Amino acid sequence: MSTVRIVTDSTADIPQDMREKLNIEIVPLKVLFGEESFLDGVTISPEQFYDKLTSSSMLPTTSQPSPVEFMETYDRILNESPDATIISIHLSSAVSGTYQSAVLGHSLLEREGDIVVYDSKSASFGIGMLVVKAAEMAAAGMSKEQILDAIETMNQDKRLYFLVDTLEYLQKGGRIGKAAALFGSILNIKPILTLDDGEVTAIDKVRGQKKAVLRILDLVAKDFGSDPVDMTLAWTTHNELALEMGEQAKARLQVRGTHHTKIGSVIGTHVGPGTVAIFINRVKG
Amino acid sequence: MLSKRFINGSDFTGMVHRGAECLQRNVERVNALNVFPVPDGDTGTNMNLTMTSGVQELVSKPSPAIGKVSEAFSKGLLMGARGNSGVILSQLFRGFSRSLAGQEEVNTLQLAAALQHGVDMAYKAVVKPVEGTILTVAKEAAKHAVSIARRTTDVVEMMREVHDKAYDALQRTPDLLPVLKQVGVVDSGGQGLVHIYEGFVLALGETGVTAGQGNTSANPTPTVTSPGERTGYTVFVPQQPSSAQSRLSTEAIEYLYDMEFFINRKLAGRMAAPFDEAAFKRALAKDGDSILVIADDEIIKVHVHSRKPGDVLNYALPYGELTDIHILNMREQHRGLLHEESIATDSQHISGSTRSIEDEALGMTVPEVLTGAPVDSVPVEQAHEWAPYGIIAVAMGQGISNIFLDNNVDIVLSGGQTMNPSTEDFVKAIEALHAQHIYLLPNNGNIILAAQQAVELCERNITVIPTRTVPQGLAAVLAFRDEETAPVNTDAMEQAAKQVRSGQVTHAVRDTTIDGIDIREGDFIGILEKSIVASSPDLQQSCRDLLSRMMEEGGELVTILTGEQADAAETSALSEWIESTYLDAELEVHAGGQPLYPYLFAVE
Repeated sequence: MSTVRIVTDSTADIPQDMREKLNIEIVPLKVLFGEESFLDGVTISPEQFYDKLTSSSMLPTTSQPSPVEFMETYDRILNESPDATIISIHLSSAVSGTYQSAVLGHSLLEREGDIVVYDSKSASFGIGMLVVKAAEMAAAGMSKEQILDAIETMNQDKRLYFLVDTLEYLQKGGRIGKAAALFGSILNIKPILTLDDGEVTAIDKVRGQKKAVLRILDLVAKDFGSDPVDMTLAWTTHNELALEMGEQAKARLQVRGTHHTKIGSVIGTHVGPGTVAIFINRVKG
Repeated sequence: MLSKRFINGSDFTGMVHRGAECLQRNVERVNALNVFPVPDGDTGTNMNLTMTSGVQELVSKPSPAIGKVSEAFSKGLLMGARGNSGVILSQLFRGFSRSLAGQEEVNTLQLAAALQHGVDMAYKAVVKPVEGTILTVAKEAAKHAVSIARRTTDVVEMMREVHDKAYDALQRTPDLLPVLKQVGVVDSGGQGLVHIYEGFVLALGETGVTAGQGNTSANPTPTVTSPGERTGYTVFVPQQPSSAQSRLSTEAIEYLYDMEFFINRKLAGRMAAPFDEAAFKRALAKDGDSILVIADDEIIKVHVHSRKPGDVLNYALPYGELTDIHILNMREQHRGLLHEESIATDSQHISGSTRSIEDEALGMTVPEVLTGAPVDSVPVEQAHEWAPYGIIAVAMGQGISNIFLDNNVDIVLSGGQTMNPSTEDFVKAIEALHAQHIYLLPNNGNIILAAQQAVELCERNITVIPTRTVPQGLAAVLAFRDEETAPVNTDAMEQAAKQVRSGQVTHAVRDTTIDGIDIREGDFIGILEKSIVASSPDLQQSCRDLLSRMMEEGGELVTILTGEQADAAETSALSEWIESTYLDAELEVHAGGQPLYPYLFAVE
């Protein structure tokens, strides 16, 4: 029986303990402050990054891993277990070239290998939850087909919403997508953002953070009703609002498992300090 | 005593002039009848401006036939209608003129029927007619007219009876509308109508009417000489937004020629082609904007800003004879405006006929570029392709206007608490907006009817979201989404407007007691939605009392819009109080710039 190995990139924001336990291979993206380059989550931790982001006068830029880096990763895995099947799950192709790079990396590989590169059309733990699910199924000996089927279903069913403190970072990074023609800047308008078909989309807009949180909870309550769910709360710099949102969510949803994670430097570059996110997926009762 | 069995167009013209004059003389008095002792009581101003517009139209179409004259008067009222009382006034005379259509002169029976018809029309125009207002005054007067007409053939006597009955009904308005009684005033709109009727009687030669009964006038009633005599009276013309025009660069004027003319179908007789208004407007829109076409069976009034004035005249020619042609080069005019900041433009008119002296007197030379709307707020790109949606909002204050413009609003009509925009202001803004579906946000209870009246006059897809306050308007625009369908947007905007609590603070202009609150002149009064809930000589105290009421049911977000008169130290003290009192609420402070109201509050 062939083994299935799971590869993802650093934007999946999978906590360290999970990735070690589930043997997940992570290809880091890069974040650059001028000439200075860091590997996301490897040579720069989220804490270090946000310190630098708030203290540095220049805004960082980000870059995807090169195809060669993917090729080398796939090659190394196949050296370890030559009959392995690789499922490589990545950041939405609508906002990053990472997926494209992985596809190219596969084509550069000078050996036969069963590799599926999957466009999550998502970001942060929206990728992470698919990766964790896939890795758990792989550990349980499930087949490539079973895993792909399961993560596709999960991907359709999951919900993610995020709140940014300011749209400035999304605008500067050009990642604002359909949220672009949103609104003015005079009022403190909080767009409720999500990824729709991989693109950043504002599905609603409200004034004020508290109202925004209430609106998100209305949305998830409508989506999941009384079904049991797993919830992951994520943040860039401040966890208070995320934890508060989690507490309120528990009062309105049947939450089975709660996870916390920090949004890494690459996604952090594009959403900025003060961002919080909630990821929800249905689980079996 | 004079008596008259018939009145004709000239008689009626005289009556209208006198009516306008009486009303004009009592504007401040009518304004002061506002139920709330707020500094922006404006029923008198609104009715006066409405009346002025009626007079302008009437003067431009003199006729010996009462049918024609009242039709012109009605059309002018309809377009110039401002405020709820102005709209109701316009509807009263709309019904009146319809009833007299085609008549040369009329007797008491016909006149009474016309008054009654006007009342019927006005009641229909108002969604929820309230008794104890101008409606009641008009209704009782008309009812009386109908009964009087059965026993007298003297129009003068009947009109005097109508006036007296209207006056009686006015005195009883506090019995019908408790809030009037509480404050100790009669209805302001009803008072305005009584003044108009008073003028009618004066014009018909009946002297002494106000001395005996209608002693509401500040000045002793002037001795009336002859019927129909014209006396000079000043006309209140709203201030033009000249600064907005100054900001517009001369080169940015795309449709250079401001044209206004009439197509007279009657003069052309059977030669005139059937008038297809939609096709005509489409033709005008090819090289023009700010299109306004008002058509009746005989006369079509056309206004357009066009690149090709020759083409416009050619489009119009098949439909009838062209009269009163005015073509104005706006760039030339604008250069002049920038140069001297004055608006004297008569020499730039190419006139198809001599402009009447009355037009000058009535301030008709004011160039019109979206009266009241900042010109540069109309997005240029919309001139060429029609956007799915357009939003027109009414607002006072630069800060509030900017917030609206920053949040999907295309045109902000200046107005609100002090100067209410007229139906025509809405019509012009609508015509200037190249959008398939237009939303109107009146943002003031007294502007909703004028907005609704504009909808009826424009054959466009328009929805009035009946917002009564600026906070409601802001909530509504934020609920709007470009990609949604109109029914979804309408519903979302209406719901959003209902979910915000609105508060405003201003100073009292007289002593009164209302809703159990004693108010002294000069006090700061806090108004929650439609009720006064706080009054104090201390602004800070008044704001706190009002906000306490607003926060009774909780609130996640408090917004302060600071007015022209707000003081920075006062605002920061208030902010600190809010933040320390309502720990769970978020606070936002924005410069609204509105006059008279130091603070507007929104709680959501």
